[in-house]
This record gives sequence, C-alpha cells and structure tokens, in this order.
Amino acid sequence: MISVQNLNKTFTLTKQQRKELNTDQKTATAVQDLSFSCQPGRVFSLLGPNGAGKTTTLRMIATLITPTSGQIHINGIDALSQPQEARKHIGFLTGSTGLYARLTPLEVIDYYADLYGVEKAAREQRKEELFSLLHMKDFLHKRIGKLSTGMKQKVSICRTMIHDPSVVIFDEPTSGLDVITAENIIKLIRSCKDQGKTVIFSSHIMSEVDLLCDDLAIIHQGTLKYNGTMTDFRANMQTANLTEEFIRIVQAPNSQL
Amino acid sequence: MIFRIFRKELLDTLRDRRTLMTMLVIPILAFPIIINVFVEISKSFEESANTKMMKIGIVGDKNKSYIQQLEQIPAAVGPKKIKIYEDSLALRKALEADQIQLGLIIPANANDLLENQQTICLNWLLDASEVGRSERAALYGSSLQANAEGERLQKLGLRPEQIKPLTINTINCASDKKMLGQLAGGILPYMFIAFGFIGCMYPAIDLFTGEKERGTLETLLTVPVARWKILIGKMLVVVSSGMLAASCSLIGLFISIEFLDLSSNKEILNVIHGILTPSFIISLLALLLPLVIFFAGVMIPIAIYAKSFKEAQSIITPLNIVMVLPAMVGFFPGIELNLNTSIIPVVNVVLATKELVAGTLSWFYFAGVFTVMCLLATIAIVLSYRQFGKESNILS
Repeated sequence: MISVQNLNKTFTLTKQQRKELNTDQKTATAVQDLSFSCQPGRVFSLLGPNGAGKTTTLRMIATLITPTSGQIHINGIDALSQPQEARKHIGFLTGSTGLYARLTPLEVIDYYADLYGVEKAAREQRKEELFSLLHMKDFLHKRIGKLSTGMKQKVSICRTMIHDPSVVIFDEPTSGLDVITAENIIKLIRSCKDQGKTVIFSSHIMSEVDLLCDDLAIIHQGTLKYNGTMTDFRANMQTANLTEEFIRIVQAPNSQL
Repeated sequence: MIFRIFRKELLDTLRDRRTLMTMLVIPILAFPIIINVFVEISKSFEESANTKMMKIGIVGDKNKSYIQQLEQIPAAVGPKKIKIYEDSLALRKALEADQIQLGLIIPANANDLLENQQTICLNWLLDASEVGRSERAALYGSSLQANAEGERLQKLGLRPEQIKPLTINTINCASDKKMLGQLAGGILPYMFIAFGFIGCMYPAIDLFTGEKERGTLETLLTVPVARWKILIGKMLVVVSSGMLAASCSLIGLFISIEFLDLSSNKEILNVIHGILTPSFIISLLALLLPLVIFFAGVMIPIAIYAKSFKEAQSIITPLNIVMVLPAMVGFFPGIELNLNTSIIPVVNVVLATKELVAGTLSWFYFAGVFTVMCLLATIAIVLSYRQFGKESNILS
C-alpha cells in the first residue's frame, strides 16, 4: 500500500534555469499539497500532461528524491525516515530505464538480486519463474548491448521484479515502445494486480489507463485535479470520451471541477 | 555490499575497450616506446655525427704543417677532407654555403710566434647548431694543441710535469643510484602520475556520467543500499584503474630494461635492477595510492555534475593539465623535498618519488607526504559524497 499525504516539492532554480524559464523566482514548485493512496490488488494511475509533476511524485515515492514536506508511507513504513527499508518493498520501472550494455541479462539480474538481498534459494526459484514467464532463456548469456528493444524490456521487467516487490511503480513504462513490446508491460501490470501487489503508474495515454486502472488521480502544475475510482470517473464524465474529459479537467479552474 | 558493487563495476569496466586501452595497453607500451625511440634517436645522431664527412677549410697554413697534422689524425675519429682557402672571407662564405663544415684560421705571423715561443691563437669557424661539429672541432683542436705543446717542451728540454705543478680532479661522491635519481628521477614520477590520472579518467566518467546518461543510475539508486556504499564501490574501481595504469607503466619500464637492449652501461643497468626492489615498488605504490584517490575524488564530483560524457570529458581533460603540470617540477634541478614542498599536492609526491629513486627519501618526509595526501584524499571523498547526494546532480 502507498499512502501520500500533503506532499510538496520545491526545487531551487540555478541561474541558468532561471534564464531558461525567463523567471526571477529562485524556486519552482513541482508538487503542491498532493494526497492520495494506492491499495493492494488495485492499479492506480497518475495522469497529467507533460510537466505536471508525475515523475517527481513517483521519484519521491521511490525515495529517489526527498519531498520538501509531506509524508509517504510504503506498506506502513515511513519512506522519509526509513528510505532503505521502504526500498525493499518497491520495484521501480521507467520508460527511460537503461541497462548495462556490456553485461549479460543473467549478470544484471544476479547483481540486482544481490543488491536487494534476495536469498540464494529464493533467487533461483524467482529467476526460473521470471525467465520462463518472459521467455528469456535464449538470450540470458548474450551481452545486453546486442539485444533487441523487446528483449531489453524483458530484462528491465525481470530486474524490477526479481525481489518480488509488493509495491510496483511504473513511470510512463510504455513510452517509446512499439505495441508488441508495450504489451509485455500491460501483461506485467495485470499480473501484478492479480498477485495482490500495489501498482502505481503514470501515463498520458488514455487508452492504457482505460484498459488497466482501477483508481486514478489527475494532476496539473503539481496540484491534484481529480482523485477517485475509474468507475466514478466514467460515471461522472461531462464529455464524449476519456481523452476529452481528461483535457476538460486539466484545463478547468478548480471551482468548476 | 560495497565489494559486490565494486565487482560488478570492475567487470563492466574491464569489458570497455576504451578503458582497457588507457588502463593497460598504453601504460605498458609507453615506457618501451618512449625509451626505445629516445635511445634509437640518440644512437643514430651519435653514429651519423661520427661517420659524417667533415670538409675542413684552412687559411694561413704557409708551410702546411697544420694540414699535415690534421691528416695524421686517424680516420676512426671521422672522415675528413682538407681544402685551402686564400683568405678568411672566402672561408666564411664557403662555410655559410655549407661547402665546408669547419674552418681553421691560422694567423699570418704563426711561424714568428712559434719561433719566439709565444702563443698562437687558432680560430675554428663552425655552425654550432649542427650536431657533432663542435665536438669534431674540439677533437682536432686538442690534437693540434697536444702536438704543439709536445714540440715546445722538447725544444725547452722540459718534461710535461715540470710546467704542470697541479692536476685537479673532480671526484663525484654520489652513488650511481643517486645520480640516476637526479637524472631520470623527474621523468619517472611524471609518467606514474600522468598514467594514474589518465587511468582514473575514463572509469570516473563512465561510472558516473555514463551511468546517468544511459539511464541506469536512477534504477540503481532505488535499491536498498546506502548511497555512500554505492559511491565507495564505484570509487574503488576508479582508484583501482588509476593504480593499475600507474603499475602497468612500471611493468612497461621493467620490460624496457629487461628485454630491450637499451644501454651498454652495465653499471647503470645494475643500478636500475637495484631500484626495482619490492620495497621500492611498495613505497612507490604507497605514495601513489592517496594521490590517485585524490585524483578520483576530484574527478568524481565533476563526473557527477556533468550531464553528458562529452561535458565531463571537456571539463576533466583541461584538469589533466592542471593536475599533471606540477609533476613537471621533477625535471627542474634544485627543487627539493622540504617542509614547504611536502604539503603541495602532486609536487610532494613527485619530489618524494625522485628521492625514492635516488634512495635518499627519509621516513619523516615519506610519512609527511603520505599523511598530507591522505588528508587531501579524504577531503576529496567527502566532496564526492556531497555531490553524489545532490538530487540535481544524480537525476537528469
């Protein structure tokens, strides 16, 4: 379970950034007073246009960056005071994730299993399950640099899931992937849900959201615009389709939501 | 966990051809190539100077006695041809046109001076910028001088020692090892330091900027391992690479001495063999280790800050000059290891290494330099840790 309460993140702008953004302000607020929770066995989607604060939010949940204020709990663990403990429960996959091109998939998986402290017996079993599930056995000993995008994506998935995390964070996981490769991610998200894991993923592709999510939050300019179940969202739509409804919510002033 | 990170990063680094080149291949080949080229060029210059035909123009040798004397000098010194010129102006023109290589002007009153037992002043004209000409002129001149002295002593009925009450010799009390340290002590630390720096450079950029650029750092930082452990694991690879490059240059030096026929001087070879002892190598590595950690500690914050491989390279490459330039202090005579120079980073290691080669490094200064460098290395590590902890640096 993920619980986010009154989350705020402010970045200090460098001179160069101030010049680029054409502003005199010394700070920029990426996330403002954000609160939501994600339940086990359900898929939570974080929606928002580019620059809305989705990635910043997910990075804070993954303990990569520290919030300016607010609270994050992962399975009841305070992620701010015990980030290392919280990380043991988290699997993190982004669309821009890279892999070590000079290593083989097996070397990468073993490395991450060691970093997550997975016991040897459990690791072998887990590896066997994942390699079979993702059809990875044929290229386990090839250098990653020589693999296709689809194969690399499978290695990324395997690396994310090797420690069997109960909370999985996906940051625009299908971005830049072809439909066949993206299908692996869709399957993975469904599989996580079936296994009772807590899943949060960010996206701006409404068809993906429609296909997968149980709960959603829409954020724009760092603030929460909508938070509820997908069923409620569909029931209260004021436009013809999901994309139009998403645009309407993003563009509407808070008083008209 | 640090060792696990170190193991993975080392494996990754050793599979990178570019790093392998700078870490192993170039350092091993550097000394054999440099020394070989240097020795071959010196040999060829020496040989060509000895075998080169010297055309000697002479003015004023009325009774041809000097021509005779010159002709009697054995050809083993080098081949020669003698040509007589009418006046010094023609001689000078011929020299400028390179028709002759040496010109000898004998004064018109040479015979009178000889008769009156006075000093005759012979003038050699030559182009001193050309290799071997001054040496050949000095050789011919000393032969003429010896002949003239002998004849005059004979006329006077004197033995040489009667007009030479004193003979002054300079006896060099420095050991061969110390002399070698003075002469070659500058280049050795320069090479070790340069390779120590270059050895750190590519792994530092690859393991920090490269990882950020390839998008693997973000994932790595989500694992339940403290950031300082990740930093130290990576830093160990950078330091190992620098030390390996410096050690490989030492291996290259050993190969040069053992397998290339570089010097016929057995004494010098014995001295070099005497220097390359386990205690010398351990002391040298002990001096280099904190220096290489310092280099890594300076490079890593830059590599963490840089957003791309190119940016990191463009900052670290000029830093190479700043860091390695002080190592050239070893080439200058007169700069010694003392309380002041022992606290200047890089310079202190160069001077200590020079003294180590010469066998004159005291424990006091060894400990002093080691302590200063360890202190600087610690500061550099703290600086790296702070940079690695900054969110703006680690996320693109």
